[in-house]
Amino acid sequence: MNPHLSGEQISKCLIGDATPQESQHVSGCAVCRAEVARLESSFSQFRGSIRRWSDQEEQLSRVREVVTMNYENHLERLLIPASVDLPWYKGIVISVKELIHPPKLPPLEVTSKPVKLASLKGLYGGHETTAGLGSVIVHVAVVALLLFAGTLKPVQQAMKEFVPLFAPDLKPLQPKPKPEESKGGGGSPQKTAETKGEFPKVAHRSFVPPIRPQDDPKLALNPTIVAPDMPNINSSNYGNPLAGVGIPSAGNGIGTGIGSGKGPGVGPGSGGGFGGAAYKIGGGVSAPVPVYKPEPEYSEEARKAKWQGAVVLELVVDENGVPQNIKVLRSLGLGLDQKAIEAVQKWRFKPGQKDGKAVPVSANIEVNFRLL
Amino acid sequence: MQKSAPVADPPFAGGLNDFESLVRQHRPRIFRFLLASLRDREAAENLAQDCFVRAFKARDQFRGNSSLATWLMHIAANLVRDHEANSRLKFWRRKLRSDLDPNDLSDWIPDQQRSPEALALAKEQVDAIWKAAASLSERQRTVFLLRFVEDMDLLEIAVVTGMKEGTVKTHLFRAVQAVRLGLEVRK
Repeated sequence: MNPHLSGEQISKCLIGDATPQESQHVSGCAVCRAEVARLESSFSQFRGSIRRWSDQEEQLSRVREVVTMNYENHLERLLIPASVDLPWYKGIVISVKELIHPPKLPPLEVTSKPVKLASLKGLYGGHETTAGLGSVIVHVAVVALLLFAGTLKPVQQAMKEFVPLFAPDLKPLQPKPKPEESKGGGGSPQKTAETKGEFPKVAHRSFVPPIRPQDDPKLALNPTIVAPDMPNINSSNYGNPLAGVGIPSAGNGIGTGIGSGKGPGVGPGSGGGFGGAAYKIGGGVSAPVPVYKPEPEYSEEARKAKWQGAVVLELVVDENGVPQNIKVLRSLGLGLDQKAIEAVQKWRFKPGQKDGKAVPVSANIEVNFRLL
Repeated sequence: MQKSAPVADPPFAGGLNDFESLVRQHRPRIFRFLLASLRDREAAENLAQDCFVRAFKARDQFRGNSSLATWLMHIAANLVRDHEANSRLKFWRRKLRSDLDPNDLSDWIPDQQRSPEALALAKEQVDAIWKAAASLSERQRTVFLLRFVEDMDLLEIAVVTGMKEGTVKTHLFRAVQAVRLGLEVRK
């Protein structure tokens, strides 16, 4: 094997100026090929960064332009008058000149003459005294009439009358609290499906799986589940009211609940409650709040196509504030769905709470894609 | 010079409206080149403006020997050269290159789902290239940017810069050598 290419030769390969022997060597030798590929990938990183930067600046400047400029006379704006475009040396000369000899302004020329106005006297034809007196009499009469009217009984009576006014309630209408719609699931890992039975007691926390391991325990502890108020059936054992009859079992899920799900509830879902999903927001279950939300990336195709819109995702925020089970509810296409999912996977939430405890909550998230 | 398909109809035939659409079409590329060469947003915006003003004033001189994009890039490259020469004279107006921290560029790495280590490595590489590019001479940098950011081939670069192809090759080779050295030092 001939020795590897020198740095100069690799540079030549990069600029596309390699001799046939050199390019043959590159295609044959893994080390040199890796070196060229590494440099090329660095250059493409560089190119990508510059493009992204310039795109961003370009968009910003376009926004500024739209805000400040009238788009129609684009060209008039381009062609600035030549006087503004003075070269620097002329500018200096002019400013120095103006500093030494401030340009003399032409003397102020007064082109108008003051005009004498006729006296105001005689405006009333010599009856000024009568007119003034008449005016005073009329004003005094009106004021006196008002004062007199104020002293009249019926008027005072009317003033004293009390009209109650109610301030209307201007608070924005509050949505009615939703009935609790938490769903949940649970169960300890057992081979058989959960048995039909009476719902265990609902409590804040569940400690033992609701199957009776022994008939006569020393210290009895009633099994409980975490759930909202539940329909009740009479049965000799605890279980899922919707399940079939069989050997006593708490289902094949994980946790202290009943069913195939995970957590302290009943059913195939996760967390507390009853049914097949995480808690829903409302009815004592607070919404999870995003605390860290990196912006989604634009995909190349979408950027080129100037594609905009929103992707709606459905997800479950678990007790640790980590999004799980991300599904696309409304798709946007052009690779943006994938980018939205990637972004939301990195999001972290303050988990939703029920009774002061973090619980998994399902939520919809709208991820907006906007080109500025 | 021989390159380029002859333009179907003269690009300035349609008057101002046509020119405006031309500006819209070509501005991003010109602006990107100017931004990467000058590293100053405002200067790049001004020069991009100037570039189109010059193109508009000289629209009669465009004979369609090269593609319109190449012609505009040629004007831009000339503007960059003038600007560099001018700013050397304007020593009293020291440029505040604040919005131009070399560290800035690595923030713009296209982020494609990768591990933090890979990202850090990419950042380092971009930084190194950016710094190395700053130390290049004006011609070398122009050639380097045209080749690796604008993806032009040697012939096009020769047209844009007005150099011979061999000269372009030499400049490009030196630029790549310098950048490679910068990357090695980092490693």
